[in-house]
Amino acid sequence: MELRSYIFRRLLLLIPVLFGVTVFIFGITMLFSPTQRATLYITSPQQMRDLATIIARYGLDRPFWSQYATWIGQVLTGNLGWSNVVSMPVWNAIWHYLPATLELAIVAAPLIILTGIFLGSKAAAHKDRPLDHGTRVIAIVGWSLPTFWLGLILLMIFYGYFRGFLPPGRLSTQMEVVVTSADFIRYTRMNTIDAILNLNGPVLLDALRHIILPVITLSVVNVAFIMRLMRSSMLESLGKGYILTARAKGLSERVVVNKHARRNALIPVITISGYLFAALANGVVITETIFSYKGIGWWAWQSAIRLDIASVLGFALFNAVLFVVVNLVVDVLYTRVDPRVRLGGTVQ
Amino acid sequence: MIRQLVKNPLSLAGIIILLIFVVIAIFAPLIAPTPDGHLNPYMIPHEGYSPIPQPPSEEHIFGTTEGQYDIFYGVIWGTRSAFQVGLVVIGIVVVIGIILGSLAGYFGGIIDEVIMRITDIFLAFPTLILAMAIVSVLGPSLKSVMIALAVVSWPSYARLIRGDILQVREEDYIEASRGIGASSSRVIIRHALPNAIYPTLVMASLDIGAIVLSAAALSFLGLGAPEGYADWGQLTSFARNWIVGPYGEPLKYWYAVTIPGLFILFFVLGWNLLGDAFRDILDPRLARR
Amino acid sequence: MENLISIRDLTVRFYTYEGVVHAIDDLDLDIRQGETLGIVGETGSGKTMTALAILRLIPYPGRIKSGSIAFFDRDLHSEIELLKLSEDKMRSIRGNKISMVFQEPGAALNPVYTIGNQISEVFLLHQRPELGKRAKEQVDRLLRDGDGLAAGMKRPFWRWQRRLYNKIAQESNPLEPRFLSHLPLFRRLLWRLNHESELLTVDMLKDVEIPDAARVAIHYPHELSGGMKQRAVIAMALACSPELLIADEPTTSLDVTIQAQMLELFRRIKVEKGASILFITHNLGVASEVCDRVAVMYAGSLCEVASVEELFLHPSHPYTRALLDAVPMPGKELQTIPGLLADPLNPPSGCRFHPRCPNAKPVCQQEKAKLKEIGKDHMVACHLF
Repeated sequence: MELRSYIFRRLLLLIPVLFGVTVFIFGITMLFSPTQRATLYITSPQQMRDLATIIARYGLDRPFWSQYATWIGQVLTGNLGWSNVVSMPVWNAIWHYLPATLELAIVAAPLIILTGIFLGSKAAAHKDRPLDHGTRVIAIVGWSLPTFWLGLILLMIFYGYFRGFLPPGRLSTQMEVVVTSADFIRYTRMNTIDAILNLNGPVLLDALRHIILPVITLSVVNVAFIMRLMRSSMLESLGKGYILTARAKGLSERVVVNKHARRNALIPVITISGYLFAALANGVVITETIFSYKGIGWWAWQSAIRLDIASVLGFALFNAVLFVVVNLVVDVLYTRVDPRVRLGGTVQ
Repeated sequence: MIRQLVKNPLSLAGIIILLIFVVIAIFAPLIAPTPDGHLNPYMIPHEGYSPIPQPPSEEHIFGTTEGQYDIFYGVIWGTRSAFQVGLVVIGIVVVIGIILGSLAGYFGGIIDEVIMRITDIFLAFPTLILAMAIVSVLGPSLKSVMIALAVVSWPSYARLIRGDILQVREEDYIEASRGIGASSSRVIIRHALPNAIYPTLVMASLDIGAIVLSAAALSFLGLGAPEGYADWGQLTSFARNWIVGPYGEPLKYWYAVTIPGLFILFFVLGWNLLGDAFRDILDPRLARR
Repeated sequence: MENLISIRDLTVRFYTYEGVVHAIDDLDLDIRQGETLGIVGETGSGKTMTALAILRLIPYPGRIKSGSIAFFDRDLHSEIELLKLSEDKMRSIRGNKISMVFQEPGAALNPVYTIGNQISEVFLLHQRPELGKRAKEQVDRLLRDGDGLAAGMKRPFWRWQRRLYNKIAQESNPLEPRFLSHLPLFRRLLWRLNHESELLTVDMLKDVEIPDAARVAIHYPHELSGGMKQRAVIAMALACSPELLIADEPTTSLDVTIQAQMLELFRRIKVEKGASILFITHNLGVASEVCDRVAVMYAGSLCEVASVEELFLHPSHPYTRALLDAVPMPGKELQTIPGLLADPLNPPSGCRFHPRCPNAKPVCQQEKAKLKEIGKDHMVACHLF
C-alpha cells in the first residue's frame, strides 16, 4: 500500500519536471525561424512544399505560450515532426531504430554491472595488494579512454588487422538478406534474439560477431566507473561495526564479506544504475556512429550534423522522459533493497 | 598537502603528465611554428588537398591525415585548445555552481525549490545528448561546444555546493558566527564556502577530463571545431575513413588514429590521476592509519 | 578452580603510518569462573584491546606481539592457549564459548537483515548439528505419518529423493552439498532447520526481556529503540550459552533509565547463566553495581585489581585514587587529574602514570612496577608498595 502511494507521489512530482523539460526543449526550438520550425509539425514530405499553410495552421507566428500549447498537444498525440534525415516521422524513426540500441543495451548492461561488481569486490578484498593496484590502474586508464578512440582502435585491430573478423554494422550483407526474407520472422527486430527465436544459427553467429566490439567499446568506461564505486563502497561497508560483530560471532571471512558486507555495499551501486543509463545513452551515440550500427544513437548523430532539428529535439525529449522514468524505477528499487528507506516507524 | 600529492606515485605521474602538457601548450609556437603568412595559428596548415594520409616523415613528424593536415602541428596546438576548453568550461561551471548552489543552500525555501527544479530539468538529459542538441542549435563551432558543455555541467556543481552548504549550515560554528552578529553573506563566504570548496575541487579536477572527452567526442562527431582546426577530436575524425588500410597493409594509416587519440588519453589520464589523488587525500575516511 | 581466562605478558602493538602505538604492555590478568570482572579506565587505556585480544579480533594494523591467553574450556576440561589456536578453531570459539557485546548497538547490527536473522545466524553456525538432528526428526515423523510431502510430485522422483535422503541422513550435516536444498524434500528439511533456529531465537529474545519477541524478530534494527537494540545484541551474544561474555561499554550509549534496566539484566545473567562476564566501562559507578572484581588500567598497563569492596574502600594505586576523587559530588570541588593522557606513540618511560602522579619517585621513571599482592584479593602495580 505504502509503495503504491509512494510511486503515485513520485509520478505526480514527475509532471512539473517533465513540464519544465518540454518547455526547455520548446524554448530551444523558438530560436529558429518559423520555416525551420515547421518540420516539427509535418508528417509527410509533401507537406514540406506548402510551408505557408503549415505556418498558418499551427500558428507559428503566434506568441510563445499558444505555440507551446499547440506543440505539446500534438506531441502528446505522438507527432514529433518529420525527420528529413531518414524520411519518416520522428516518432516512427525512434521506434524503427530503437531495437538495435536496445539490443546493445541488453547485452552491455548486465556485462557492465556484473563485471564491475565482481572486480570491485575483489579489489576491496585484496586492498593495497597487487590485485587492488592493478585494478585501480585499469580503472583509471579505462575511465580516461575516449570512447570513440577505443572503438576506432578496436576496429583497426579486429576488423583491419584480423581481416574482417569482427566487422562494423549490424549484419553482413548475406545475413541481411536472410533476415529480411520471408522465412525469417522478426519478432523483436533485435537480431540476436530473433535469431534464437528462429533457431537460426548462422544469423545468430553473425549478429554476435557484429555486436561484440560495440559492446566492449560501450562497456570499458562504465566498468571502470562501477568497479571503483563498488570498491570504495565495499571498503566503507567493511569498516562498519556490524562487520566486527559478524566476526565476533565466529562467521567465516567468506560469509562476513559475502553476506554482510556486500549486501550493504551494493546499495549505492544500485542507486547509481540510473546514471548508468545516462552513460549508456551517451556512449551509444558515439559507439553506433563509429560502428555504423544503425540504432537511435546513429540516427541522432546523423540528425545533429545535418541540423535536422525535429529529430534532434525529438531524440532529446525521448531520452529525457526515459531517463526520468528510469530514475523513478531505480528509486523504487532502492526502497526495496535498503530496509531503512522504507516507510515505517519505531517499535518501542 | 603538496607533499602528499608528490609521494603517491600515481598522482606524481599525473602531475608530471600535466606539466608536460602545460609546457607543450605554452611553447606551442616554438615547438610547432606557424608557417609565414598563415593567419590563424589554430588552423592546421596543409599542403595540398590529397585525401590520402601520409606516414611520418622528416617534414611531417607524425605524418598527415586526410586533406594533408600535419598531425604534429595539430596535436601540439590541440593542447592549447584542450586547456582552453577544459579550463573555460570548468571555470564558468564552478562559478555558476557556487552562486546558485550557495543561494539555494543557504536561503532554502522557495529559492532552493526553484533552483533544484531547474537542475532537475537539466539533469533529466544525458549530457552528451543535450550538448548535441544545443550545439546543433547554435551551429557547430568550438565556442558552441564550450557553451553547450557549460550548460550541461553546471547543475551537478550547483547541487554539490548546495549539499555541502546544507551540511555546513547545520554545524555549530555557523550558529556561533551568527550569534556574534555576522551577516548571512559574510557567514556564507567566510565560513560555509571554504569547507564546501574541497569536494568541489575534487569533482572539478575529475571533471576536466570528462569535459575534454566530451568536447573531443563532439568534435569527432563533427559538431565541434571546424574542419582543419587544431583540436584533438577533430583530428581523430579525419581518421574515420582510414582505419583500415589496403589489403596486405591493414595498419598502414595507424598514425592518423593513434596519435591524436593518445594525446587525448594522456591528457585526461593526467587529470584523472590528479583528481583521484585529491579525493584520496581530502577524504579522511580513506586515510591510512 | 582454574581461572577461566589467564592472560600473561600480553603485548599488543599497532604498526601505523605515524609510528608504533603501544596499546597494551605486559598485561597480566585473570578472569575467574563465574565472576564478573570489570575493567575500568579512560579511553586509550587498552580495555577494548584486551577484549579484542581474547577473541583475536585485533584489527589491522594491530598485532599481538607477545604473551599468552589461556582459556579453560569447561566442556573439554582442559586449558587451551588461545593465541596458538588455528583460525578455524578460534572461529568455533567466537560467538560460542566466548562472545562479545559492543558499545553501539546501532552500529553492531547489520541494517539490511532482520533481528531474527542475525540472531538465528549464531544458532545455525554453532549449533547446526543439534538443530539438524531435530529438524530431521521432524521430517522423519512427517514421512512416517503421512505422505503430504509427496503431493504433486511424480512417484519415481519422490522415491529417488527418499533414497537420497536415507543415504545422506546418517551424516551430521544433511544439507551438504548445497544444491540438494533445491529438491522439495530437502527444502522442507532446510525449512525445518530454520524454523528450529527461529524458535530458539524467539526464546532468546524473551530471555532478555524483549516484549512481543516474535514480532520484534521480524523487524529491522532501525525500527527498534536503543535499549531494545542492545538487548537484541545481548541475546545474540548469549545465544550459545558462552562461558565468557565480554561486554564493552554496553550501557554508555543508552539513556540513564535504560542503563539501570540493562545493569539489572546483566545481574540476572550473572546469576542465571553462570557465565563469567568481562565488563568494560569507564564509569566507576556502573562498575560498582555489576562487578565482583575490578581492574584499573592506564595507558595499556594494569594498575590495580581488587574485589569491589577492597577497591572502593582501600584504593591504593595513585591513579585509582585520582579516579575516585574525580567523581563529582555535590558540595565538593571538582577534582581533575593534572597533565595529559599518555601519548600512545611515545609513552612515558617506566610507570606510565608517573608524569601525572603526585607520589612519583625517581624509580618510577626508570622501571615499571610489578603486580604485588597487598591485601586480601588485592594487587597493585606501584612502587609505593
